[in-house]
Amino acid sequence: MTGWSRRSFLGAAALVALQAAVPGGAAVLGKLDPKDAPSPRRRKFMRMVADHVIPATDTPGAGAVGTGDFVLVALAHGLEGTRRPPAANPALAPFVRADGSLDHAAWLEAKLGPKWLTLPPVRRHDALAALDAAAFKGDASAAPWRAIKGLILTGYYTSEVGGSKELNYELVPGRFDPKVPVTAETRAYSSDWTAVDFG
Amino acid sequence: MDESMNFDAIVVGSGITGGWAAKELTEAGLKVLLLERGRKIEHQVDYETEVKAPWDMPFRGEGDADLYAREYAVQRLNRHFTEFTQGHFVNDAQNPYQTGADTAFTWFRSYQLGGRSLTWGRQCYRWSDYDFGANKRDGHGTDWPIRYADIAPWYDKVEEFIGVSGAAEGLPQLPDGKFQPPFALNVVEQAVRERIMAQWPERRLTIGRTANLTAEKDGRGLCQSRSICARGCSYGAYFSTQSSTLPAAQATGNLTLITDAAVEHVDYDPKTRKVTGVRWIDSKTKTRHQATARLIFLNAGAFNSVHLLLNSASEAMPGGLANSSGVLGTHIMDHANTLSAAAIMPGFEAWTSFGNRPTGAVIPRYRNMETMDGVGHTRGFSFQGGALQSTWTAGKREAGIGADYKNSLRKPGPWRMVLVGFADCVPRATNRLTLDRTKVDPNGIPQLHIDFAFGAEENAALAQAKADAAEMLTKAGGHVMFGFDRPGPGGTAIHEMGGARMGNDPATSVLNKWSQSHDVANLFVTDGAQMSSSACQNPSLTYMALTARAAAHAVSLLKSSAL
Repeated sequence: MTGWSRRSFLGAAALVALQAAVPGGAAVLGKLDPKDAPSPRRRKFMRMVADHVIPATDTPGAGAVGTGDFVLVALAHGLEGTRRPPAANPALAPFVRADGSLDHAAWLEAKLGPKWLTLPPVRRHDALAALDAAAFKGDASAAPWRAIKGLILTGYYTSEVGGSKELNYELVPGRFDPKVPVTAETRAYSSDWTAVDFG
Repeated sequence: MDESMNFDAIVVGSGITGGWAAKELTEAGLKVLLLERGRKIEHQVDYETEVKAPWDMPFRGEGDADLYAREYAVQRLNRHFTEFTQGHFVNDAQNPYQTGADTAFTWFRSYQLGGRSLTWGRQCYRWSDYDFGANKRDGHGTDWPIRYADIAPWYDKVEEFIGVSGAAEGLPQLPDGKFQPPFALNVVEQAVRERIMAQWPERRLTIGRTANLTAEKDGRGLCQSRSICARGCSYGAYFSTQSSTLPAAQATGNLTLITDAAVEHVDYDPKTRKVTGVRWIDSKTKTRHQATARLIFLNAGAFNSVHLLLNSASEAMPGGLANSSGVLGTHIMDHANTLSAAAIMPGFEAWTSFGNRPTGAVIPRYRNMETMDGVGHTRGFSFQGGALQSTWTAGKREAGIGADYKNSLRKPGPWRMVLVGFADCVPRATNRLTLDRTKVDPNGIPQLHIDFAFGAEENAALAQAKADAAEMLTKAGGHVMFGFDRPGPGGTAIHEMGGARMGNDPATSVLNKWSQSHDVANLFVTDGAQMSSSACQNPSLTYMALTARAAAHAVSLLKSSAL
């Protein structure tokens, strides 16, 4: 039996990283059934929505790392519970599919209105912030936003930028330190799987 | 039949106990055939997702939810099931089972070389005489034919081979073992331990005892604190068949391993009253094969070993192989399991931790020991859990967008502490496995039918666990957010056991004190099926110890020509 060292392990990880072109955006759309392929307008729309939730700061924002396309793919595959039929609500009814699930992207486009994309950035932000606030105050007509927002966070913090630049990522910690001082520079680890799953 | 298909022993199943049976029997000089129904997974070579980051995965580690709903409807509920690990769990659509109308049972399965040893939680706890004496004490089930003294040396042997890290605590209800150095409690857990002990000296929060190496062993590397064990570990840092028992068995030169071999029948000769061999279906080619042996060990996993015995009924044994008692399939158990309390733990904001410890903390049983202080129940419950910080996923539950929101998710979140209750499950005849006479699996074998329900004892235990957990975390300075007092569906704890219980009386039990069939002297069942009670601690270490003990006994019988 061959013992594995931390060095050989990291070497293997680097090989995997080389082989896997980072799916910046369009690459992930290849997972979609052609009939589910989003229009350029919808891709732009979801990219912009993602960027308002997680904008560029000293690290890139969600739009730049392909989160909009990830959200569309994730919605097409029912992630974040989006295949479950929504609670009965007349405001949602026009966007319910034949299988009972909600077309979240179409709903959000309609909810924000046809002009949202062309609004000045501040007004786009305000409109989205209002929707977000309503959703977290329990407004049933805004409820589907929570799943979309959840997917935006997933898309960003599981991207290479979100996971390893905005947060820290350590594939092989090599040790467990039970008591580490928090400093101004401390950042969470996206590779803290317990925190990700249960935090 | 091909002469090469004649062995001293056949072991059915290559998981936690099958690997042990193969190791012990081959090291004793027996020629052993190890049969595994699933595919071959080679250590270090076939852990396909081990080094991948979320951004390397098609669905970022979350997986294809629509696919999971269609084909992994049960397995997706397992906390270790992710896009990284889905290849280590069965496809439910291809491996169906049936449940009774009033049964909710989530049967978590891993059909592959190594079985669930690749995906297990690695927690290793000795049982005590509170556990082996439980049935006799309160009258549920049938008395165990063994006590702690019978198994203690075998616990020693197993712990020393697999490597178990843990802290000695001197508790009679959770005997200390041969431990490697423990992982540390984090800053919150250490404080909670001290605060609970100050209030209740008999309640001991301690680090989980886990089969992850904190000292190198037999060519296996140290645990790297990744806590992604279920992907497979090329360091060999946690116990699995691949990292430990299989290489030991292969080193003897006495092992023949066949994968993709779904055993459908154990053959029995009524003239000699012995089993003679097994028959299996090659899962890939759908061709049928057979082999003979002087000794057969069933280690297919508790429910699958029972399934095989039931399906091996013959004219001589119409109710199932080794079932003259009629109790085969009955008295199945799983720990009643729920999140008893979750609390915010203020006062530790200045601290975080580094690395992913591969174990939580535990509070061993403290009820119904010398004093029967359980309310509505006669057995024990224990807690597993620990303190953790939230991270970006907590943002899904919070209002906010924009730069400030993004920055708020940058640091580790507040400390929380969770205590998950595990309650002893009373053995009941009505909780049982049978063959479904109307539905077959893709190999044409009758599907397993599960009838299972928890009862008043488990509900009472979890009610007390909820109250106790809230009280302890509050006294420890926490603010309890919520807790539950009803168990999840059967199978949630992934400690399903029983169905071929041990006992002194052949009229009321399937196996004797050596895990040996009362009816068929050369047949041993040494996985979870043999258990007569459930205790409230994790059972795998006990399965392993009983397997090593049974193997030694079987070998002694073979060598003395008693078989």
